[in-house]
Amino acid sequence: MTLPAQSPPRLSRRSLLVGGGICAAALVGAGLLRRWFRQRAGVFVARNQRYDSDLMRPIRDGLMATGIDPAQLKGKRVLLKPNMVEPTRAAAHMTTHPAVILAAAEVFRTWGASVTVGEGPGHVRDTEMALVESGVADALDSGKLPFADLNYDELGFVANRGGLCKLSGFHFPRAVLEADLIVSMPKMKTHHWMGVTASLKNMYGVIPGIKYGWPKNVLHHNGIPETVYDINASLPKTIAIVDGIDCMEGDGPIMGTKKTMGLLVVGTVPAAVDATICRLMDLDPAQVPYLQLAANRLGPIDETLISQRGEAWQPLMSPFQILDKPHLNRLRHHRGVLVS
Amino acid sequence: MDWLASILAQLAAQPVIGYVPNQSPATEPTAMAALALIAAGRQKQAVPALDFLAACQGESGAVGIRQNEPQPGWPTSLALLAWRAADEASGRDAHSTPRRRAVDWILEARGTAMPASPEMGHNTQLVAWSWADKTHSWIEPTAVSVLALKRSGLGTHARVREAVTLLWDRLLPSGGCNYGNTVVLGQTLRPHVQPTGLAMLALAGEAHEPDAQARESVAERDDSDTHLRFGLVTRSLDYLRRSLVPPITATSLAWGILGLRAHGIELPRADELLAAAYDRVQAHDRSPHKLAILALATQDTSLPLFTTGT
Repeated sequence: MTLPAQSPPRLSRRSLLVGGGICAAALVGAGLLRRWFRQRAGVFVARNQRYDSDLMRPIRDGLMATGIDPAQLKGKRVLLKPNMVEPTRAAAHMTTHPAVILAAAEVFRTWGASVTVGEGPGHVRDTEMALVESGVADALDSGKLPFADLNYDELGFVANRGGLCKLSGFHFPRAVLEADLIVSMPKMKTHHWMGVTASLKNMYGVIPGIKYGWPKNVLHHNGIPETVYDINASLPKTIAIVDGIDCMEGDGPIMGTKKTMGLLVVGTVPAAVDATICRLMDLDPAQVPYLQLAANRLGPIDETLISQRGEAWQPLMSPFQILDKPHLNRLRHHRGVLVS
Repeated sequence: MDWLASILAQLAAQPVIGYVPNQSPATEPTAMAALALIAAGRQKQAVPALDFLAACQGESGAVGIRQNEPQPGWPTSLALLAWRAADEASGRDAHSTPRRRAVDWILEARGTAMPASPEMGHNTQLVAWSWADKTHSWIEPTAVSVLALKRSGLGTHARVREAVTLLWDRLLPSGGCNYGNTVVLGQTLRPHVQPTGLAMLALAGEAHEPDAQARESVAERDDSDTHLRFGLVTRSLDYLRRSLVPPITATSLAWGILGLRAHGIELPRADELLAAAYDRVQAHDRSPHKLAILALATQDTSLPLFTTGT
């Protein structure tokens, strides 16, 4: 598989499963990582999207425009990782819409990949309930898509390649370790502690509850920004497809209100995708703690280093309300839209 | 119930199970299988499961999540329930040693207290049980530990009394609970069925009104609506009754039914709902873990999960 130029080095599935990730990680010096990620990253934005429209086309266009070569996906294992932290039918705008998951799955399947959907909901032990409440269960049935419950899967240990938190490594589910490509599929939402949650923070969902708890409290106690960074630095190759159609503002990621943007955002460098998400929300990506850590290490967040594909973000920007809390003030220093 | 017979036959044939078929065995589903078999009077067929749990017990007394995963130790209380049930059913103390070591570990394990914060609605100083070492106390590990210690005759232990207070403290004002947060940054969170069912099981036999410590805890936290918080158990049971409707899923349904039953409430059409949940499991992941919990939910209050008081 040809990976975009910004890709981190990949570990073989075998090396990860037997714990050889420690050895592989040792080969990756900080200087090498910096050289990889100083390069530019492409981010694709599609506007006027609806859940009942053809979502395959913008996803396909976005992936190809940002560096995915379809021919290289034939026979590869792709894991789609939607966001289903705490689904309820009362707030469908909290979770990745099933139509986006189905469309992404179909794109990868038409390119010859085998597709699995996987998630480890952070707040609910009953993953089946999360699937039903989010509508994803019906989508899996209709699309004949296999599902991997990442909270209860068998585990392999991978060294912490980020090195910012105290954890020496992460116990990743087998479905994650066996994937050739992971696709982070978050909902575009505000976050009441971090300001914004998108493709990097969504990777908390690959961390198994059976090992880290519900909520995944081990991560919180080791620092949210640091563990977001370290998890993403330690994962196999990850790209992003963001559901920005019906979004969440205010008290996200659970209790916020719906805000319709009609967007799909796609990219092969999640940090750059998340920075663009922030700009679309009129929030400063440099003030999001985990993006501060990710900048120029996991990928660029500076606008000058991000090549915009599809639509330009500037005309689509619409301010998202965030909580009026001291720890969030820095994100909106340039404006004054508040909720309390 | 044909489906129940089918589950029990499957568990009897393979009582050491993972969460899904063809997965390496894990302690939680295996403890559930043991409990389901014992509750159905099939103690002999539960022996491999009980032995597996003993094999997973480490030197500390903790039972890890899998045989090669000694940490975290939250399944220890489930194993203790299973060993206790087996010994009660047989009238013998076959598992007295692993039970004693499990009790010791549970009483030693402590969730981490957090500094009081105006941003958090619950009493962060109360200590019960966490999922993982050096983290905060949460609903499900606390509820199961309370059940296991009560069944072990330790209902009056100070750790259990504080844990009961914590469970009561984590119930939402309108009833029910979630994983264990109540109000965050001024926003009241939503309840979930499964943790509410487990909390109701653990609180069965407790006075519906808070004891002095709990009353003080709530009063310190939120003077304005202290009076509204009394009767939380009643409201939580109402929440369960309202929520156990199609398309309710297997484990939520089972724990919800058990939580209601622990308070003397039988859910109308429970058999129908359980059968539908069984069909759904069989049509999807065929999880033996879910099947074991469904089988447990058919049992009456002689089930070794129920307690009648402290």
